[in-house]
Amino acid sequence: MAGNDAFFDGFLDDYYAESEEHLTAAADTLLRLDKLIGQPAAERAAVDDLFRYFHTLKAISAMVELKPAEVLAHHLEHYLRAIRDGENALTAGGTDLLIEGTRRLEQIISAHRTQTALPAINDVVAGVASLIRVAARPAADSPERSSEDRRWICTFVPTKELLASGFGVDAIRKRLAEIGTIVDATPRVGPNATISFEFTLLVPYSVDVVQQLIDVPVTVQAETTVNAAVEGTALPIGSDASAPAASGTGTSLSHVVRVDLSRLDHLMQSVGDMVISRARLSDSLTRIERHVPAVEWRAVQENAVAIDRQLRMLRESIMRVRLVPVGEIFRRMPFVVRDLARENGKKVQLELRGQTTEIDKYLIERLMDPVLHLVRNAVSHGIEAPDVRLAEGKKPEGTITLTAAAVGDVVTLEVADDGRGVDVAAVVEKAREAGLTIPAGALDVSDILNILCAPGFSTKRETDRESGRGVGMAVVKETIEQLSGTVTLDTEPGQGTRYILQLPVTLAIADALIGRVGVESFAIPQGSVREVIDVPEADIRQLEQNEIAPYRDGALPIIRLARIFGIPDSPAGHVHVFVTGTGSNAVGIAVDRIVGQREIVVRTIADPLVRVDGVSGATDLGDGRVVLILDPAVLGRLARQRTPRAIGDAAAWGRLRAFK
Amino acid sequence: MSELETFIVMSVAGTAYALRSHQVQHMEMVEHVTQVPNAAPFVDGVVFSRGQVVPAINLRARFGFERAPYDVRTRLIVVSSSGRSVGLIADDGREFLRLPDAAITPPQDSLAGLSSRYVEGIASVNGRLILVLNLANLLEFSEPLVAV
Repeated sequence: MAGNDAFFDGFLDDYYAESEEHLTAAADTLLRLDKLIGQPAAERAAVDDLFRYFHTLKAISAMVELKPAEVLAHHLEHYLRAIRDGENALTAGGTDLLIEGTRRLEQIISAHRTQTALPAINDVVAGVASLIRVAARPAADSPERSSEDRRWICTFVPTKELLASGFGVDAIRKRLAEIGTIVDATPRVGPNATISFEFTLLVPYSVDVVQQLIDVPVTVQAETTVNAAVEGTALPIGSDASAPAASGTGTSLSHVVRVDLSRLDHLMQSVGDMVISRARLSDSLTRIERHVPAVEWRAVQENAVAIDRQLRMLRESIMRVRLVPVGEIFRRMPFVVRDLARENGKKVQLELRGQTTEIDKYLIERLMDPVLHLVRNAVSHGIEAPDVRLAEGKKPEGTITLTAAAVGDVVTLEVADDGRGVDVAAVVEKAREAGLTIPAGALDVSDILNILCAPGFSTKRETDRESGRGVGMAVVKETIEQLSGTVTLDTEPGQGTRYILQLPVTLAIADALIGRVGVESFAIPQGSVREVIDVPEADIRQLEQNEIAPYRDGALPIIRLARIFGIPDSPAGHVHVFVTGTGSNAVGIAVDRIVGQREIVVRTIADPLVRVDGVSGATDLGDGRVVLILDPAVLGRLARQRTPRAIGDAAAWGRLRAFK
Repeated sequence: MSELETFIVMSVAGTAYALRSHQVQHMEMVEHVTQVPNAAPFVDGVVFSRGQVVPAINLRARFGFERAPYDVRTRLIVVSSSGRSVGLIADDGREFLRLPDAAITPPQDSLAGLSSRYVEGIASVNGRLILVLNLANLLEFSEPLVAV
């Protein structure tokens, strides 16, 4: 009955997913709670919600035998019940403990998932216990006092005899449902593999009444006495158990299906294969066009166009399935800001915008750390202390704004603060101390960002705890670039700092521009190309080992793919250039010929032998050949590093500026 | 009694090498190999194999010989080792061979210094020497190997 390992593993996945939902909901509610103190009705509703979340967490943790989570959830639930029943008032200290408890639960569950050591819970448990006024607890032996709903635990132990006389678990559940409201149903497996069912029943009567009313063999206890000794192991025992739990809580059925990400990946891959087949088909069609009568051809063409359209729709539908609200990243931030602000003696208000913006699940997981780092930076480096802010004529409370927005295939995440802005002089000084070379002359924001993101750079002398944690700006930039995204900086002294992350909404299929050099084709993500220009060879000037071309009213460094890839040039009097990047990161990628825009299926290049900088993946244009997908941001960086000047040889940059 | 095992025999610069057939995913004629800049020096580039992008190791270059142009006999042999799929480019590869374990002897000491890293055994078949490759080592070491 306990099920095999595979069953249990599947069950664990459900547990992780479900506990995450409840923890997130609890976290949201707790953060609201701060603002609700003094509004009894709203506060009571929030406490009720919290009670329910922890109650469920307790029950499901018991099912997977995650004892520490069960015990902790139990204590938090207990405290909330005391508040709900008016025996305790909710205090700021209590809210803090609940927040810490939620976080600890999250840690326990995540440690269980990764099979690492579980964090201790004693301090939180002790803290919660000290908050509850023991004397005020209603004893289970004074049930006649209760005139309103009370919770009772009805335990049913099925036996062959009982079953024979018609008392199956379903019959019991039905009978109990007639008497009161079943708010929970938990199957438990005892030490000798005995099975029992625990129904939590909400009934407006005393225990005697309940005993009289229930003409079925169950034992009845007031819930508090049972909870005081949570023990026994509980295992899932199939649909019998889950059905009442779902229907009993009275929650309406949600129209949400949980799908394993790998299944979606598989679907996506199939569509990817279809996109490739379609590309092959259109190639073949182009070849036979002149052999087919025009009338026939029109029909073929119409069908081909219809398939194109339908395939695109199919692809978009699947992509939409993979999308999750960016709120998943934002949700954790209020905790971080709250704690950090307190530690640093700052007042910070966090504003979240565009939480419903949807991005690929894959991106969500990878964006968490970079966004976390930017938010930490904003609190510890951006926002000033309240007295400083007052002296500057600002509100003592700083504001950090997290914004998400999607435009077309690009999602933009912004982390903005209204703090002191990046202190360029301090950054330059630190960079010098760290031995980094600094471009001469006036630095623009992209120069500053390059310095901030240089490996080994830190604006604080000692690596401070909150911004440290091994994730520097260098890692932020690297992560975003790996996701085919870009980081830009916008800062104004005294006004604030804004980091803008731009990423493709999804990665698996992308629109790309195809360029050709000699016999090789290359794909460049369309999102990263700002413009395509033709440059006469005569206009390209040699600047030491770099080539630059006039562009608008400035100069654009040119990277010749032929040179990088060691392909013989085919001089044609002019080159075609993809313009990518902005500011001092702008770079032009020169090819012999531009083939056009294609929808490409992005394949990863995983093998270490061929994983190289500047190539983000590979694709197939329909002829079975591998076409490399270039990463313009990294190529640009490589081109700058190829010469000893790295992020800026003063002389060269000076000359480049003079050239403008 | 010893078990018979199937090997795929290929030749590189005149020497016969054998791969255990369970390590070989498939073998095909070499078509277009896409060059990858800054890849390891003995890698010709990448090819698609069953939807995956796999590196193509030029065994001549790997063993320290001059590269030879691909011709109709050149084969791409896609092998798998500890979760990786890698293509090996050999001068040819057309022969299957069933050998008993006992027919394979460890490389002699005189060979050890040079090639024991990637040769795991030597088989003598009808007076012809065949070197059985240690695939894991062949794929693992990135420094150039010395020719036998």
